[in-house]
Parts: sequence; structure tokens; C-alpha cells
Amino acid sequence: MATTLLLLTIAIPWVGGLIVWLVGNKHTGLQHRIAVAFALLAGGAGVALIPYSSSQIVVNLPLGSVFGNFTFVADGLGVFLTVVATVIGSLAVIFSVDYMQGEDQLGRYYAMVLFFIGAMSGLVLTSNMLLVFFFWEITALCSYALISFHNDDPKAVAGGIKALIITQIGGVGLLAGALLLYAVTGSMDFNAFIANPALMPAKWLGIMAFGFLIAAAAKSAQFPFQTWLPDAMEAPTPISALIHAATMVNAGVYLMARFYPAFKDVPGWTTAVLLVGMITALMAAVMALVSNDLKRVLAYSTVSQLGYMFYAIGAGGIYASQFHLFSHSIFKALLFLGAGAVIHSVGTRDMRQMGGLGKQMPLVRAVFIIGGLALAGIPILNGFWSKEMVLEAGLANAPVWTYIVMLIGAGITALYTFRCVWMVFYGEPHSDQHVHDAGPAMKVALIPLAFATLTSWLLAGSFGKLLGPETLPAHGIEISSLGEVIHEVLSLPTLIALIVIALGLAAWWWRGRLTGLSNALKGVGQAAADSFGFEAINRGIVKGTQSAAEALRATQTGLLNWNIFGIIAGLIIVLAVVIFGG
Amino acid sequence: MNISIPVIAGLVILGLLGIGLYALLAVRNLIKIIIALQIMVKGVLVAFILAGRLQGDMVTAQSMALVVIVADTIVAVVGLALAVQIRRHTGKLDTTALTTLRR
Amino acid sequence: MNANTAFTLVIGLPLLGTPIIYLLGRLWARQNGSSSAANPARWLAVLILVATGVFTYFAGVGATADYTGISHDFGGLTLTMDGLGLFLAVTVLALGILVTLFSAQYMQGEVGEEKFYALLTAMIGAIIGLGCATDLFNLWLWFEVMAVTSYFLVAFYRDQKASLEAGWKYLVQSATGSTLVMLGIALAFAATGSLRFDELRLAAASADPLLLAAGALFIIGFGVKTALVPLHTWLPDAHSQAPSGISAMLSGIVIEAGLVAMLRSLGILYATSQVWGYLLLGFGALNLLVGNLMALRQTQVKRLLAYSSLSHVGYMLIGFGMAFTFAMPNGAIGGFFHLFNHALMKGLAFLAAGALLYALYIAKGHHGPLVLDDLNGASKRYPLTAFCFSLAVLALGGLPPLAGFMSKWQIFVSGFETGNTVAILLVIFAALNSVLSLGYYAPIVNRLYRGQPSQTVQEGAKISPWMAAPMVILALAIVLLGVWPSLLTNLTSRAALGLFMLMGG
Repeated sequence: MATTLLLLTIAIPWVGGLIVWLVGNKHTGLQHRIAVAFALLAGGAGVALIPYSSSQIVVNLPLGSVFGNFTFVADGLGVFLTVVATVIGSLAVIFSVDYMQGEDQLGRYYAMVLFFIGAMSGLVLTSNMLLVFFFWEITALCSYALISFHNDDPKAVAGGIKALIITQIGGVGLLAGALLLYAVTGSMDFNAFIANPALMPAKWLGIMAFGFLIAAAAKSAQFPFQTWLPDAMEAPTPISALIHAATMVNAGVYLMARFYPAFKDVPGWTTAVLLVGMITALMAAVMALVSNDLKRVLAYSTVSQLGYMFYAIGAGGIYASQFHLFSHSIFKALLFLGAGAVIHSVGTRDMRQMGGLGKQMPLVRAVFIIGGLALAGIPILNGFWSKEMVLEAGLANAPVWTYIVMLIGAGITALYTFRCVWMVFYGEPHSDQHVHDAGPAMKVALIPLAFATLTSWLLAGSFGKLLGPETLPAHGIEISSLGEVIHEVLSLPTLIALIVIALGLAAWWWRGRLTGLSNALKGVGQAAADSFGFEAINRGIVKGTQSAAEALRATQTGLLNWNIFGIIAGLIIVLAVVIFGG
Repeated sequence: MNISIPVIAGLVILGLLGIGLYALLAVRNLIKIIIALQIMVKGVLVAFILAGRLQGDMVTAQSMALVVIVADTIVAVVGLALAVQIRRHTGKLDTTALTTLRR
Repeated sequence: MNANTAFTLVIGLPLLGTPIIYLLGRLWARQNGSSSAANPARWLAVLILVATGVFTYFAGVGATADYTGISHDFGGLTLTMDGLGLFLAVTVLALGILVTLFSAQYMQGEVGEEKFYALLTAMIGAIIGLGCATDLFNLWLWFEVMAVTSYFLVAFYRDQKASLEAGWKYLVQSATGSTLVMLGIALAFAATGSLRFDELRLAAASADPLLLAAGALFIIGFGVKTALVPLHTWLPDAHSQAPSGISAMLSGIVIEAGLVAMLRSLGILYATSQVWGYLLLGFGALNLLVGNLMALRQTQVKRLLAYSSLSHVGYMLIGFGMAFTFAMPNGAIGGFFHLFNHALMKGLAFLAAGALLYALYIAKGHHGPLVLDDLNGASKRYPLTAFCFSLAVLALGGLPPLAGFMSKWQIFVSGFETGNTVAILLVIFAALNSVLSLGYYAPIVNRLYRGQPSQTVQEGAKISPWMAAPMVILALAIVLLGVWPSLLTNLTSRAALGLFMLMGG
């Protein structure tokens, strides 16, 4: 049964994608229906897999030497992330029915979305390192195809290619680690290695650990690879929700959480993860504060929240990081889809041209505020519990100053969230266009997410059991009831955190009186708007490569004598190497 | 210095190859380039015969040399045919006129 | 069927078929006018190649029965089909049959159509023979036959100046390389007195200067055909000017045949020096970088694909370099796997580009180059071709679930298995180059899927199912090998075994 369900969660979206693509763009109604049906089926299969989670291999296709055995394991971590990918993914698909109404080339759109969801399930369910890399690259491919879905728009194309190239450069780290695992242990299966990291000599283990960190940072848009993510906002908004809440960026957090038991003793590794998370959390929060593009604010907040998850992993709080990932996927999907509804009706992403939209879109305002409160960490929404868990983990196992930095980050989070809500839904209306309310399919997707944002924290206990020692023997997660979580969260540090968050809120309230402070921070804001110089580095590298390529083209003169010179030069070099090097 | 036949032959081989390669580098005329190729092949033919003599296996060496002559003639014929066509199209027999395909 | 009979037919059929195809086609053309639509030469060529393929299967069954393969004496000339020979025959026939099918419409009505099919069949026969040669001189002879047939095919459009220019450069450079190979053979003969692989290998145990010089000459001589940087300058011209089917053959198998010839000749000299492996690795790295950078700013589609061939030869060289330097079986197996996949991927890319070139230009009677701007929005009018083209370039870029990913993986594994820091850094360099290559592959896909078709696309002609069918087959094969990479392991590992046996391992 587990075997069938597991294969179904991967196969259903892929088959659905193929069918949607084959149906052809002439039958758009049918395409919408097929996509929704297959996405929901995949979600169902994912949820049905929960009771079968165990640490046993349930699928094994032996392929031979370098490719290893294609093995799949439905353990707690994998099942959890599959459920997130398929369920949130299917809500994004439902939302797309309204959002993509009347768009061209729907077959390609839905095929890639479903392919993406299936690949994400495969990534988290396999225990073969080659397949991890395989699915990892497929998610990169799909994100590229979807970000640049509007191929006529050069910005969308550039954003897609940038996402592809940066995540691929990071992917080289994963590749190196995967190759090392096979070269040293002679097996592709990583569970044996996680159970016994001593299989790898310390030197190789270190390279592997940091290689994986690079890959995860690039995938999850962490420092210093964060630059691809804001440009990825050119994608249709349901795709942003899919990438930021359900699939792509979770892959990096998954990788770190999965291999934490193996890498935690590598010198400097946990500190590095901690610092990457901390720097990203703070930096992205500041960037969110100064951005005027609604989707970019949400994108930076995703990066920032992912920084919290990395921070938690660095501090050893695997449960906290995954719990935060769980809450975050729900409320961020809600926020993105809510933003999608707004953008779809207003026709711009610039928050300065919005304002006062609450009257026309009451439902969207309501759910967006729920999502915003959860993002800010206000009790008793799901974001509150998980963020406090992350901070507790930091306080327990990390230097205190990092905890303080994270607290400041939480305050800024509250500040930019309220700023965003205010600019969109309150204040003076700036647009005299006719604004229409969200469509029915949009509402169908938004309401369950809003409900889950309010209640998902009640599942903390069962979530702990899912990640417990029965399915993840090496991770040592011992939380098994909601009471433990509540007990841990309701403590003095939480009060401090709440005060900081309240200060952030207050800062927005009294923004008029704080002009002196905001003028003082103007320089920081300017630097943040330029992505703290990393954008310039990217551009420099691209430009350097292109001009090198352009310069090299001069060597192809087309003159035969010159070509012969190449042959003779080659002969002389080879002879010299043979004589002096042989 | 003892000037034996192998040394002379070796010098001839190197000389022919050197002339051929130099001509390929310096000459622009299509027909001359074909001649340069032919000169190089002649050097190789001497090399085959020399090798046969050194190994005392002239039969193999000569039969190989004959095959090389045939193969090389075919290449020369194809090359000259191309040169004729090029002359027809460009009116010139000059490699510098053949640099439209570049970069 | 008797394996020996089958082997005789595999060697004989394409070579004997060549004049028959030509004569039949010529007679038909004379009776029905030279631009007759249904010249039977193409069907005869397909028939002969398919029959050769069937016999290759039977010969292969015999050849894989033991490790030495099957040998046959053709009047004093011994040919052996070992694992490597079988692998090369399978690859060339697979691609060759599809290219011949594709060309049915592409070449329809061209002057001298029958010559095209006759020469293509002869070239395929020569490549099969090249894989089965058992002595150096014979190896060179097959190589030369392949080269001469390909000169004609590259310069097939005799009335196009650019095509003549490409053919001319190809001929001169290739002939120069061939001369160097001959000199190498003479040196090897002078040093050992034999040219048979088995005898030469036993004789070539020490670092005789003559043999070292011979090895260097083999690398450069065969390297011209293999397009090692800086001997590659003929390649973009020839690949872009040849008829698209021939571009697919040149890039997919002819340059690789040069590589196989180089590996055979260096394999014999394996014991003489360590340096051969290092040279392969060095040229591999150089090819990767130069190929990718040259392709990055290219605007003509076929030239871009030609430059990307340079970088793919680089991956193969790195795999074989690992096999030579560190005796890594996975390097050779991965190298051969990539060779096969590259034949599929680049074959598909050239066929798809060719289909577009045909529909947008040739069918209208002019021979302009296909530039990137022509691709804009091609998926609107040519959804299947655009999809196949995207699949091919993404596979070339090494994205899963496509074949190129798996063979690159296998090559990379061999580098890490050495445990040598330099080898590992080289693999990481190769992986970064893979990322760089996406910098020119990905924009092609974006162009193909634009919503607004370019002017040329809107005015384009139809692409017939005969052109589409080979592309679909190749696309399916690329996906299949991407998700089931062990399908070919039997073939590729035997090819690697053939190479290692030559090296005396």
C-alpha cells in the first residue's frame, strides 16, 4: 500500500502534466479541469501516505553501478514535505483557474506546475543521492520554465535564467557531495550514511557538508545567493506561491534538516548554517521594509523566514525549523495568493498605486490580514508558535547576540508586514480603475488556507510524532504532544519577543514621529534597495563572462592559413608535453 | 659524421614536411595549397619506405605506400574540384576571399 | 543466423550498396528529370541501412558471446567486431537511419540527390569498418574513406559559396591531420615492425621516442577530426554549411569516430607513457571552456550547436582521460555513454534546427543562415519541432530527466572515484561549464516559446511527418535514457572493455 501511494504521489502529477500538455491549448476549459483534478488527486495521495510513514525502504529499483538503486522511503520528513508540496500546490492550481483565465499556452503552464509538484515529492521521498540531485535539478528546470512563462517579456526571461543559473551553480555543491558519497562509500543510499557519518573520512565529510550548504543556500535564496529571488517575481503569482510556499525554496531547508545528524559534528558547519540564516533573516527583512513592489515584499519576507529556518537548524532545532516551515508554507501561500488576487484586479504590483482596496475586496483583506498577523508572529496564529520555537532553539543553543539579532529581525518583520497591509488595503485609494473582487476559484483556494493559518498549530503534537524516532531514527526529535510545545513557548523569552514585535507595530503607528530615525536609516535603505551590492557582483560576473566570450570570438578568423597555424601550434604543444612531461 | 641512407632519408622527410607545413601557413593560392599537401604526403611516403627498410619488411611498406598514393590522389582530386568551383563563384583562387564564415 | 555471416554482411552491405544506390538513383533521375520528387535512392538507402542494422543485431549476439568479439578474414584483411566496434556500429546506424529518413524531404529535389544517399551510406559503412579495424593502417584507411565521403557531403550545395568555403577549409585541415596520422603510422612501423594492434601493443612496452612521437601525431592527426581546441576551426563552418542531416551526422558521430580512432591508437601506446591521459584531460578542459564561450554570443543557430559540440567532446575527453590516467572503468563507460547520448541529443538538435531551416528558408528556395531571431515564437506554428528542439538543448545542458544528465553523472563519478584532488577540481570545473552552457541553451527555449511569432515563422512552410518522425523517436530515446540509464550499460561497458583490452589491462 505504501509503495503504491508513494509512487502515485510522484506519478499522478507527472501523468497529469503530460495529459494537460497533450490536450492542447484549444481546450482551455478541459485543461483547467484536468489540472485541478490531478493536483487534488496528488494531494489526496500525499495525505493518505501519512499513516504509512516509516523509515523502511518501500520502493527499490536496482539500476546498477554508478546509478545505484533507485530507492524511495516514506519517512516523516519526506511525507511531511510531500503533503506540503501536493496540498499547497493543488491550492495554487485551483487559484490559477481564475488567475490564468484567458492566458495563452495553458498546456505548458499546467504541465510545468504539475511536473514541479511531482518532482518536489520525488526529491523529498527518495533516499538515493543521485535521485536527490536528479529531482533537485528538475525543480530548477521547472522554476525556470515557470518564472519565464511570459517569454515575450525580457524581464521574465532574464529572471528565469538567473534563477536557473544561480541555483545550478549552487547545485554543483550538491553534485560534489553526492559524488563524494558514492566515491567513498560505494553506495548511493544516504540513510546508511546518516545513521553512521563515520563512513566518510573527516576531510571528505567537511567538503560534503559545506557543498550541501552552498546548494541549499542557493536553492533557498539565502545569503549570498539571495539575488535571484526578487527577479523571480516576474512569474505569474500562483507560481510565486508555489515556489515560495510549497516547493522550490523548501528544498534547501529540507536538505539541511535531512543531513543535519550527519554534518552536525563537522567543525564550523552548524555555525555557518546559523550565520547564513541570521544574516539572511536580517538583511531580507530590511530589504522588505524599503520595497514598494507588493510581490517583492513577500519574496523578501520569504527569504527572511527561510533565514529563521536555517538559523533554527544551525541551532540544532530541527523540529522548530520544520514546524516553522509548515506554518510558513500555509501563511505564505495565503499571502501570495491574496496578493495575486489584488494584483489580478488592480493590474499593478506597485503598492504606491494601491490603497483603500479593503472596501472592494473584503474577503481578500480579511485573509491577507490573517496571513500578515501570522507572518508577524502574533498569537495565537500558527506563525507565532513556530517562530517562538525557532527563537527558543536559538536561545538554548546559539550565542545570545544571534538571538538578539533574530529578535530585531522579528520586530522588523512586524513593521514591514503592517506597512504592507496598510499600503494595500487602507489609506487613500490611488487607482481610479475599476477594481473587481476575487473570483470563485480564488476564494476556494484562499479560505482553507486562512482556516489552516488559524488552526494548524494545533497539530504540533502529531507533527512531532510524524518526525519522531520511529521514522527518523537519527534526528532525535522527541516532541509528541501539543502540550509540550505550548509549555515550551509560554515562557519569559516569548514575552520579550512579543514586546519587540509590538515595538515594530508601534514603529509603523508612530512613523510620522520617527522621521529623525528614518532619515538616519536612509542610507541603509538605499543599500538594501540595491540588494547590498550583491546585484552588482552578479552583473559584473555576467558582464565579464560575456565580454570574454565576445573577445574569444576574434580567434575564429575564418582564414585557412590561420586555421593551419592552430594545427601546427597544437602539434608543437603536444610534442613539447610529450618530450618534457613524459 | 657518418652519413648513412637512413639519416639522409630522415632529413628528406623532415624537409618535405617542413616545406609543406610552411607553405600551408604562408601560401594563399588554392592550387598551391593542394601542392603543399601533396609535398607533405610525399614526405610521408619516404617515411614508409624508410620504415620498411629499417624493419626489413619492404613488401608491407611498399603496399602501404601504394595505398597512400591512391588515397592521397583522391583527396587531391576532390580538393582541385572544389577549387574549380570556388574559382567559378568568386573569380579568384585566393584563401583570403574565403573568409565569410567567421566568428 | 550465423554471426560470422552477419558480420560479413554488416561490413559489406553499405559498401556494396553505395554504387547500387547511386546507379539506381542516377537512372531514375535521368528518366524523370533531375528534380524528380520520388527518387527511389532514398528508400534503397534506408532499406540497406535497416538491413545492416538487423545484421548488426545478429553479429552483436555473436560478438558479445565472449570478450574478444568475432573476427572475420576478408582476403588477408582481418576485421574484428569487439565491444567497441559493436558500440560504434550501433550508434552510427541508429543515427544514420533516422538522418536518412529525415533527409527524404529535406533533400527532395536537390540536384544530385542520389549522390547524397550513396555517400551517406558509404560514410556509415566506413565508420562501421573503422570500429572493426585490427591494424593501424587499416584504421587510417577507413578513417580516410569516411573523411573523403564527408568532404563531398559538407560541400554538397555546390552552387553556394559559403558551402564551398566550408568544404574547402574542412578538406585542407582534415587532409593535413590525415597526413600527420600517416606519419605517425610510419613511425610506429619503423619502431616495431608491425601495425597489428595486438603485436604493436606487446612491442610498445617502453618509452621509445619514435612511439612517443607517433602518439603525439595520432593525437593531433585524429584530433583535427575530433575538433580538439585549437584544431577545431573547421568545425563551425562545416557543421553550419552542410545539409542539416549531415550536420547531425558530423556532430553526432563523425567527430566521435575520430575520437574512437584516437583512443584505439593511443590505447595501443598506453604502456609507453603516462602523458596520453593527461593530454586527454587537458584538451578536455580546454574544449569545454572554449566551446562554451564561443557558443555564448553566437547568433546563428547551427554555428551555436557546432560550438557546443566542442564542449561535449570535452566531456568525453575528460571521461576517457580518467580512464587513461587513473584506469577508471567508469570514465570510459561514461565517455561512451555520453558519446551515444550526444549522438542522440545533438542529432535531434541539428534535425530540429534543420527542420526549421527547411521550413523557413530552404523550402522557399533561399539558403540563409537560421539566426536566433528566427526562432521567436516558433512553437506557435511548429509545436512539435519546437518541443523537440527545447528537449534537445536542455538535454545538452545536462538537465534531468534527460539523457545528457546521466552520462555526465557517470563521467563525473569517475573523476571523484580517483580521489585525486586535481581530478576532482576538473570535475567541478566541468560541472560549472555545464551551468555556463545553460547561458546559451536556455534563451533558445525562451525564444521558441514566445507568444508572438517572428515574421519568418509566420511565413514558414509546413514540416512533413517524415521529418517529424525521426525527431520524435530521438526525443523519446533521450527521455527514456534519462530515466532508465542502465538500459545501455551492457553496450557501453563492453565498449569500455574493448578499450581496456587494447590498453592491455
